[in-house]
Amino acid sequence: MTTLRPFTCEDMLRFNNVNLDPLTETYGLSFYTQYLAHWPEYFQVVESPSGEIMGYIMGKAEGHGENWHGHVTALTVSPDYRRLGLAATLMNLLEEVSEKKKAYLVDLFVRVSNKVAINMYKNLGYIVYRTVLEYYSGDPDEDAYDMRKACSRDINKQSVIPLSHPVRTEDVD
Amino acid sequence: MALRSQHVHDGGVVERRLRPVYDWLDNGYNKKALQEAEKVLKKSPSLQAARALKALALYRLGRAQEAGAVLDALVEEKPSDDTTLQAMTMSFRESQQLHKVCTIYENAVKIDTTNEELHSHLFMSYVRVGDFRSQQRAAMAIYKFAPKNPYYFWAVMSIVLQAKETEDTTKRNILLTLAQRMIDNFISENRMEAEQEARLYIMILELQEKWEDIIKFIESPLYGQLIPGSISQACIPYLKKLGRWKKVNILCKELLYDNLDRWDYYMPYFDSVFHLMKENSNEENIDDTAEKCHEFICQLVESMSSGRTLRGPYLARLELWKRLSVEGDPTALLGSALALCVQYLRVFASKPCAVPDLKVYLAMIPQEEREANCRDFLTCLGFDENSEPETMDDIQRHISCLTAWRLTAPRPGTTDALQLAATLRRHYLRSLEKNMIKYSTTEFCSADSYAILAAHHYFYAATEQKSSKPILEALCLLELVLLYSPANYHVKLLLVQLYHLLGNALAADSIYRRLELKHIQLVSLGWLHTARADAACVPTRALQLLADLRAFHTHHAKDQSIEHMTYAYKFGTFEKVVEPPAPPAPLHAAHTDNRDLNIIVNWEPPELQDPDLRSRTFDQDMAYLRLTDALLSSVTLCTELAENKPIEEKMQHYEQLRTCVDTFSEAMEKCTEKYCVYEKITISGPFPSRIIGFVSSPVPYRELYSITLRMIGELSMNNTDKVHELCDQVVAIILISSKLIVQEIRYGAEDNGWSMRDRLESLSNYLQSIGVLTYLLGVCYEMITPTNTKKSKKKANRSVDQMQTIKLIDNINVTLQQAIASLEELMDLWPDYDFSVDLEEELTRMNINPTAPSPVENKLKLGLDKIIEDIQNILKRKTAYLKGLILNTNT
Repeated sequence: MTTLRPFTCEDMLRFNNVNLDPLTETYGLSFYTQYLAHWPEYFQVVESPSGEIMGYIMGKAEGHGENWHGHVTALTVSPDYRRLGLAATLMNLLEEVSEKKKAYLVDLFVRVSNKVAINMYKNLGYIVYRTVLEYYSGDPDEDAYDMRKACSRDINKQSVIPLSHPVRTEDVD
Repeated sequence: MALRSQHVHDGGVVERRLRPVYDWLDNGYNKKALQEAEKVLKKSPSLQAARALKALALYRLGRAQEAGAVLDALVEEKPSDDTTLQAMTMSFRESQQLHKVCTIYENAVKIDTTNEELHSHLFMSYVRVGDFRSQQRAAMAIYKFAPKNPYYFWAVMSIVLQAKETEDTTKRNILLTLAQRMIDNFISENRMEAEQEARLYIMILELQEKWEDIIKFIESPLYGQLIPGSISQACIPYLKKLGRWKKVNILCKELLYDNLDRWDYYMPYFDSVFHLMKENSNEENIDDTAEKCHEFICQLVESMSSGRTLRGPYLARLELWKRLSVEGDPTALLGSALALCVQYLRVFASKPCAVPDLKVYLAMIPQEEREANCRDFLTCLGFDENSEPETMDDIQRHISCLTAWRLTAPRPGTTDALQLAATLRRHYLRSLEKNMIKYSTTEFCSADSYAILAAHHYFYAATEQKSSKPILEALCLLELVLLYSPANYHVKLLLVQLYHLLGNALAADSIYRRLELKHIQLVSLGWLHTARADAACVPTRALQLLADLRAFHTHHAKDQSIEHMTYAYKFGTFEKVVEPPAPPAPLHAAHTDNRDLNIIVNWEPPELQDPDLRSRTFDQDMAYLRLTDALLSSVTLCTELAENKPIEEKMQHYEQLRTCVDTFSEAMEKCTEKYCVYEKITISGPFPSRIIGFVSSPVPYRELYSITLRMIGELSMNNTDKVHELCDQVVAIILISSKLIVQEIRYGAEDNGWSMRDRLESLSNYLQSIGVLTYLLGVCYEMITPTNTKKSKKKANRSVDQMQTIKLIDNINVTLQQAIASLEELMDLWPDYDFSVDLEEELTRMNINPTAPSPVENKLKLGLDKIIEDIQNILKRKTAYLKGLILNTNT
């Protein structure tokens, strides 16, 4: 049961029920405002009928030539609103925006330990394109999967042929 | 904002030599930056970029005048290289001289006429000062030699802003027509290419209320190419504006058939039905009656495949009931609201969101009916309060039923609340014993909610009984839950709240740290801990917490305030230009309520909800801040009056002080009438504001502060008679206060844990007065021993009056020391918590061995010890300071 709407600045004062989740990062204010200013169409909220923020997605479009792609910067759903298909709703939206922008693919990074999320992305048609070593800093550092899904513009699905070797964080553009 | 990114293109020798200057500046070493800039200037004294950076360093070192001189000279020279201009821009921005940025770029583009970069900086400089007309001119100027879309749309946006600004309707219409025509031309030449350009076009049409034109545009192929999302959905707001409800009705139904769960489609659908009901059009495919609407919802329910039941259609039925009930009784059509709610719960109880969804609709069941049938919620799936579900899914169902029951039942009396809390606790412990608590870093464990609900019931009992024991039980239980479910922030928030309820900010702090709040969260959740720390008598920690919050504000103010506008232009996101500049605005305006008060779940029935809590507590906190502000201003004026200046020069400050003290005194009187109220404590919101305790204290703070401040005013004017009279009054009132604070703190001594918070708050108000008075006495001595005589205090020649003044001030000093001494005695006898809980027994009985012992008793004890030790140290320092001030050796 969802209202889908663009993220607004005031939402930052109300998204605690989502962001208090330990794996959801709260960024500096300018990080959000830059996304809002630059890619507002990629920054959307799902809201419950009672007006509570259930989750949100933050993304951007970047890259040159055949690497022009949509990127998922953050996707998060409040623990109280999981298993309702909200993440899929938000991902569909991001893919649709990327299609309009004539992107070749959509990509995202996910902790290799986050099995729930990885499975969800797989169900949505994403494949593990490559492993990025020690992408998440922490104790110890953790690897990331770079997961991808081709858009319709990538007719031959060139962008989703998995790499056989992992890459290092500094080699990720 | 880092400087670095702004000069990357400016390579070469200059860049290399200036790099260290940038490095120092970026890292806040302004002195080093200044030295480095001087070094560069020794070799090439005229280098403009180096001088601009030198000015910036000077400004940041607080040497604004020198910085200004350097900058003025540079402005005269009309520099046109970007490095210099950027550095000057930084200085002007930080010193709030934004119009000067316009000047330097106006000069620069005259020299380098076709430099796109300089022109766009000029445009941005107008954006910062809000000069829309100049913005438009600058944008068109660039577009002439660099015909790119963004520049064109900058110009259009600038026209729109002029239209929005003007109050002259004719001018507004002309400007909007112009803006629209500019885009119309662009569209006809097939040159519109970005989503935001299309959105700007819609914005212009909206401002002219050209709803038909907007719909036409949305239905055009161009829109579909540029903007994602459904065309029908995009049309709906404008169809509503046009009152074309039939169309809205049809479109929403189509959308809903494919998207059963989209609340933003149901809402306009209902709007249309309720409008069409009044029209009686009676068309077949239009839902214009409650019956047809219900029929449609039933179709949606039936259309769901058996595997996946969505909440949408079920909640829609509840919404229909709610809307129909405004003007009648929908029971004949839909059945009772109670039955609908129970049905909803029966279907969705396995989801954690079931009860939050239902909460809004439970309020529509009449209270009597709700309370009489509350057990229907509990039993609708075959559970009761003693059921022992065996699977995780059933635990969630059980919890949903229990919660819905508690939301509908009348608030229990103490015995019932305690009994229920014990039952719920047993459910949690049983889940633990049966290994149904699954540890995960990201997921909550369903059974945690048993404990949370138990904690709420312990809280109810505690507030009824005014007893700390149930809170101690809740704390022990919640700490246990946290051992097994470290991700559950609901548990952490409750712990912070309950530790504070028992007056232990340091125990609360141990959990608060684990919430790992950052950035904006420090603002929205500041009420939970930071705002309470000072009143809870933990000044050291309060200072750290407040420093973190201040760092956020300062950083934000520097980084963001105007720049979000320039960003919006840079990226062509025109909606953000007109959107209320939200991030800085609510944070900067001191009078905006930024608190997130919904974060702690409240399970009290609808009639016990307090809808005014937000505005009331905000108003109270603001009133307290205003009082403190007036007090602080008075103290500052006293400090200024202590400067060694002739009396005539001090007159102005003296008058200001009198006004300020009067303001404080009057405000205090008004607040005493207004805020002398009893406030109920709620588990989910802020506790009663500090102002209540402050103004209703038996200690006469109003007189204590205002008489002391007045005495200092008179002292600065050498009005000896008045001073002497007031000094006696100060002594008297310190003595009275010293007695009354003991009474205030001893009051309500039945349950030490329960009274702890109130006592510490009373103490914090009193400590503040001790601090202020001690400081003010320092100021007094400053006044009566001017600097030149200080070193030889015994030898100074003093008049009889002066001697008398010294004696009287010394007397205040001694009295204050006595007051501190009596407070120290009180601190030595400060009562401990009476710690007794029965959770341990229960654990033993159920044969559960937690992985760690309960930390609650220790946290409370150590926290309180530390609080008392801190206060004792503060008092010791005050006494030592006061002793050192005494002048008359005979005293």
